[in-house]
Amino acid sequence: MARRSVLVGAGGMGALAGLGAAAPARAAGLIPPAGAGMRPTLYPMRVGLDQLIDVKCCIRPLRAAGPNLSAEMIGDRLVVHNYGHGGSGWSLSWGSAEIAVGKALSVLPRDVAVVGCGIIGLTTAVVAQRAGLKVTIYARELIQRTRSFRASGSFTPDSRVALAEPAGAAFGDLWEQMARLSWKTFRTYLGLPGNPVEFGDSWALSDTPIEKRHWPADPAITDSFATKGVPVQNSEFGHYNERIKDIVPQAVDVPAEENPFAKPYVQRSSQMYFNFSSYGHTLLQEFFERGGRFVNRDFHSPAEYAQLPEKVVINCTGYAARDLWGDKTIIPVRGQTGWLVPQPDAHYAVRYHNVSVHSKADGVVVMNNNPDIGEMLGVGNSMELPDRSGIEEALKIIAPALAPATAGRV
Amino acid sequence: MRKRIIGAGVVAGLVAVLAGGAGLAAPKAPPHLSYTADQAAAGAQVYAVRCAMCHGRRMEGTLETPALTGKFVANWAGRPVGDLPAYLARAMPQFAPGSLTGDEAVRLTAFILQANGYAAGARPLGAAERINLPLPPPIVAPRQ
Repeated sequence: MARRSVLVGAGGMGALAGLGAAAPARAAGLIPPAGAGMRPTLYPMRVGLDQLIDVKCCIRPLRAAGPNLSAEMIGDRLVVHNYGHGGSGWSLSWGSAEIAVGKALSVLPRDVAVVGCGIIGLTTAVVAQRAGLKVTIYARELIQRTRSFRASGSFTPDSRVALAEPAGAAFGDLWEQMARLSWKTFRTYLGLPGNPVEFGDSWALSDTPIEKRHWPADPAITDSFATKGVPVQNSEFGHYNERIKDIVPQAVDVPAEENPFAKPYVQRSSQMYFNFSSYGHTLLQEFFERGGRFVNRDFHSPAEYAQLPEKVVINCTGYAARDLWGDKTIIPVRGQTGWLVPQPDAHYAVRYHNVSVHSKADGVVVMNNNPDIGEMLGVGNSMELPDRSGIEEALKIIAPALAPATAGRV
Repeated sequence: MRKRIIGAGVVAGLVAVLAGGAGLAAPKAPPHLSYTADQAAAGAQVYAVRCAMCHGRRMEGTLETPALTGKFVANWAGRPVGDLPAYLARAMPQFAPGSLTGDEAVRLTAFILQANGYAAGARPLGAAERINLPLPPPIVAPRQ
């Protein structure tokens, strides 16, 4: 979900001016209208409580400096780290794995160990195999029981991935490298059986003109990550999506004649997202077909890495690195999703106020994220028990907004 | 992990047989894992308040939260028992790591050991217990 394109009620002059500027050009036939002038017919989405089948919670591992991709020696084992991707693990997985495996290859190993089997671990293992290495994954669980499967599963490559100042200017280049390589690799999964990766329309609805939300620093707040060890306001977060807007579809205003909803202000964007069941299965299938081995193992200290038979270990332990490696720079950021019965015919996403519903192959994912809190939502909160009431509230808010432009038209 | 433990047991047995065969004095029994029933009972109270909300009333866990029986033994067997209260004290509960006292962590460990079939004894468990966690008693009941 495009988390930063948030709906606000006040001061919509920018958006109105934008529409005004586009209209004459469109009338002159220079710019085709966004939807070719036709109002799309959307299959109704059922968002009643009777459809709710799951509420999932997870913790994003935010590191102020960005993901840890450093290397160190434990005994005579080379350990290459690949963890701490905040809310961007799925989205950066291929690019991040490319960097970690590249470092592992620098000592010419024939086999490597990967610790952890979330989206980062499993992707890293497959990238290592594609580089010709024999790979064993050591982990507590296969991907289906990891935190990665409790994400929302959209391409959100700069969601809580770093804090701007501690990460420094150089991180932007590294981030862009990871994001671009990941984006292109995800495209190789489009159209495969089971649709592991898909695109869908994401509609933002509003009662008032829509404008992009910005987070200027509040001068009244003198504390920061530097003094508190956690971010204290939204302006501290690093934002990098502008760097790849040449390839990632941006939101466009929907003219009234193309608006399928009853709400007066609508934007549409094309959103890339991941279907967990299919994607996990596809990745595991490649891992095992290439001769990968999975060993069920729980590690209790970094010293245990030196007991592994492989001389090179890639550490992909996500939030667990906070305790296992004593990395207190990992800041927990709680997130929660509700899941409705899959509705493949209603193949789109809708956002309204603080609520989003997104129809995916494995269910309709529901989120209730207060836009006034922004990236700070869940910061420092490591409570991983779901709270159903937030999802129930979300469904009540979004249900009336899903009404079609003309009653009974669908 | 399991092979190593079983291997160690076989070696210890052989040493005992050899020692006995050579007519030497019986070796002093190695220290065995012990906790008291009182420790486990106190641990049960801590568990109910601080742990059950995530790990379940019966330690059964969920898809997301580890169960504390069953696979628990595979995860911890062969490791110093004292590592477990140390882990609990620094990492649990996940929403408030570091909030358990050392005593609470030891009592919780006793309760978890009890739930996994290890018998209580006379000697209380200590925070610095260096004995490696042995395999639990056999789960196969003798044939009637």
